[in-house]
Amino acid sequence: MHVIVCIKQVPDTANVKINPETNTLMRDGVESIVNPFDEYALELALLMKDSHGAKVSAITMGPPQADVILREALARGADEGILLTDRAFAGADTLATSYTISQAIKKLDSHPDLILFGKQAIDGDTAQVGPGVAEYLGMTLLCNVKSLEINNNRFRAETSHEDGTDLLEGDLPCVMTVLKEAPAPRFASLSGYIRARKASITKWVAADTGAEPSRLGLNGSPTKVVKIFSPPVRGCDMKCEWKKDKDKALQSIINVIKKKGVWK
Amino acid sequence: MSEKNVIETDVLCIGAGVASLSTALVLLRRLKAKGAEKLPRVIILEKGRNIGSHILSGAVIDPSGFEGVLTPEEIEKIPIPTKVKKESFQMLTEHSSMPIPWMPRMMHTEGFPVGSLTKFVIYLANLCEQEGAEIYTGFAATELIEDENGRIIGARTGPKGLNKNREKKSNYLESETILAKTVVLGEGPAGVLTKRVLAQKNMFGMRRQSFAVGIKEVIEVAPHPDRVGEIMHTFGYPSDMHTYGGGFVYQVAPNQVMVGFVYGLDYTSATANPHKLFRKYKAHPVVEEYIKGGKAVAYGAKMIPEGGFYAVPEVYNDGLLIVGDGAGLVDSLRIKGVHIAMMSGRVAGETLAECWLKEDFSKNELKHYEERLKNTSGWQQIKRVRNVRASFSKGIMAGVMSAGFAWSTYGAFPFWQVPIKRDHEGMKTLLESSTDDWDIPISPLSMDRLTDVFLSGTKHEEDQPCHIHIIDSNRCIQECLPKYGAPCLLFCPARVYALENDNHIHVDFSNCLHCKTCQIKDPLQNIEWTLPQGGDGPRYTRM
Repeated sequence: MHVIVCIKQVPDTANVKINPETNTLMRDGVESIVNPFDEYALELALLMKDSHGAKVSAITMGPPQADVILREALARGADEGILLTDRAFAGADTLATSYTISQAIKKLDSHPDLILFGKQAIDGDTAQVGPGVAEYLGMTLLCNVKSLEINNNRFRAETSHEDGTDLLEGDLPCVMTVLKEAPAPRFASLSGYIRARKASITKWVAADTGAEPSRLGLNGSPTKVVKIFSPPVRGCDMKCEWKKDKDKALQSIINVIKKKGVWK
Repeated sequence: MSEKNVIETDVLCIGAGVASLSTALVLLRRLKAKGAEKLPRVIILEKGRNIGSHILSGAVIDPSGFEGVLTPEEIEKIPIPTKVKKESFQMLTEHSSMPIPWMPRMMHTEGFPVGSLTKFVIYLANLCEQEGAEIYTGFAATELIEDENGRIIGARTGPKGLNKNREKKSNYLESETILAKTVVLGEGPAGVLTKRVLAQKNMFGMRRQSFAVGIKEVIEVAPHPDRVGEIMHTFGYPSDMHTYGGGFVYQVAPNQVMVGFVYGLDYTSATANPHKLFRKYKAHPVVEEYIKGGKAVAYGAKMIPEGGFYAVPEVYNDGLLIVGDGAGLVDSLRIKGVHIAMMSGRVAGETLAECWLKEDFSKNELKHYEERLKNTSGWQQIKRVRNVRASFSKGIMAGVMSAGFAWSTYGAFPFWQVPIKRDHEGMKTLLESSTDDWDIPISPLSMDRLTDVFLSGTKHEEDQPCHIHIIDSNRCIQECLPKYGAPCLLFCPARVYALENDNHIHVDFSNCLHCKTCQIKDPLQNIEWTLPQGGDGPRYTRM
């Protein structure tokens, strides 16, 4: 079994700031992390390795320094890391990104069994690239997966949506996007990091993927970002001091909830 | 201990701060320069999530420490572009300030780099990696390993993925063992392993370490290009006359000011609240002038070992070197340790390079580290001001006079050891302590503790064993609360401690900034600070 997991390096949005004059991200003091949803996708992939001996390939597209997240994946147990990095990829929207990644996947393996994504990246929050890749590859797509079992080339997965949970069964191959309700990501061990440090990362430029240059990066992106801004800070309706009078505090919270019509 | 988890290295450095990194850099470069056929494997473990995550300092860096560690080109490129252009010393009273017109030469810092030590450490770490050192972050070394002869032969990392009841979670990761010819302890102030090994091997200095807690914010302000490089050090208000405290204001960029307040932990008032003092400090007119209209964007706290000469422990043992703040290598008059940490790293690196060439890492060889350390100019500074810190505990006048003698007699007078109490001793009872009803509204320049904690970026997995042990919780309520009013509620700069229902001290360990003030200052010595899961703790990026 071959599992491909697509991961992305993102700024830690816990402390992202936008420069009010240029509307661009202020990078000073903001660390880069593996997109948290992707860590769950990677964990599902590694569980398939543990249970079925699957080969796990991690792919990312990004600047050269994005190789650190592939090393993180290798340290946790992935078998290979592929970094798609080229000036030509820069400025890609979700359409161009989906196209680029699908081309790279085709090049890597024409018949992968399972392709995993995080539900969405926490920087853009679009949740479009996973489905886009499934579309380009003409594969079955399951979104918002929270558990997965595979037996005899068939999957049995639970997916979440607003009204509840679906239990779905079907044949591999399949593309899935993964939720944080899936099993908790493992930690890489020190020995894992030592191994990953020495491992080589495969680097592919645009030409290596066999993609059409006109469909890559900014050229292949119909979406134009007009403005980036921080949403206005929403004030709070009330502040209650828990310490002073617990019952009064509780009652005032209940009153607010009732006033909003959430609870009659 | 399963075999698969044993990692072998030549040198293991614990803590990726300036001292450890300087050790690794000098060791590898010396050997390359000498044409060594084979270079030692150097592993550096860091408990912070990233390199620099737990690094905090003023910092006005005395560049004398760069010598022999960095090349002139590298010094040129350090990521602290601002140099001190204009400095002033002010004596503060509640409403006014008095510039101190004259300062001895040894206090001057014109031309010194001023900025973020976090960024400097990231830079040093990159140089180390280029030389082949391996740095692994997110791993806390929780235990030193000894052989049957008492020689330190390595360390063990803490496990990850334990729940709050110490049961294994699905992502449990077991401890790993690293064996090394020498372990370099660079844990910084009051490190867990350092503390343990000093006690076990009786390596304490002539007296125990004295600490201060330093609280710092980075504040974004309206641009003032003309002020870049202006720095101010202050004494007096809001400290009382008997506590060694002071503040600093550094304009490091047109729109960025670093403000900090340092408070000696031998303070005696049970009601002292260093974070509140920091807020008072920021509201003082001379400080406010630099920051008004601004907004705090980063926060942190860390202890400074200020005990100086008499508190420096034995810095080596069989299989072990202690470098930097962990060994208390701080000039306690100027409160500067970065340069001495780098010097200690340099001589540790030189010593280990010789050990490697001689293939002899015995205690007899490691002792050259101590000899070399005592020949550094940093050590001379520590020695010269050896009585200043203790004199300040007798009052600010005694302190200033002692500083004057240290300068004028090159440290020869006073020739005796001025005594000082340990930090947790001498706390007055609640009744004897003055109350302080100073208050101003919370604002972007004067945040409450929890908002500041948010700005530190600190994060701990919530479902893990609490890393702050209250040894006997009954004593908190029965002894400490009535007598001292539970000062932990006030001295913690991260508001880790809260009183619940007047009968229980609740520990919000996830707020912790790893400063360890609690362990030092608790008057009953009833708190034990241990290491949480590796990778947890503050996430400083520009402290």
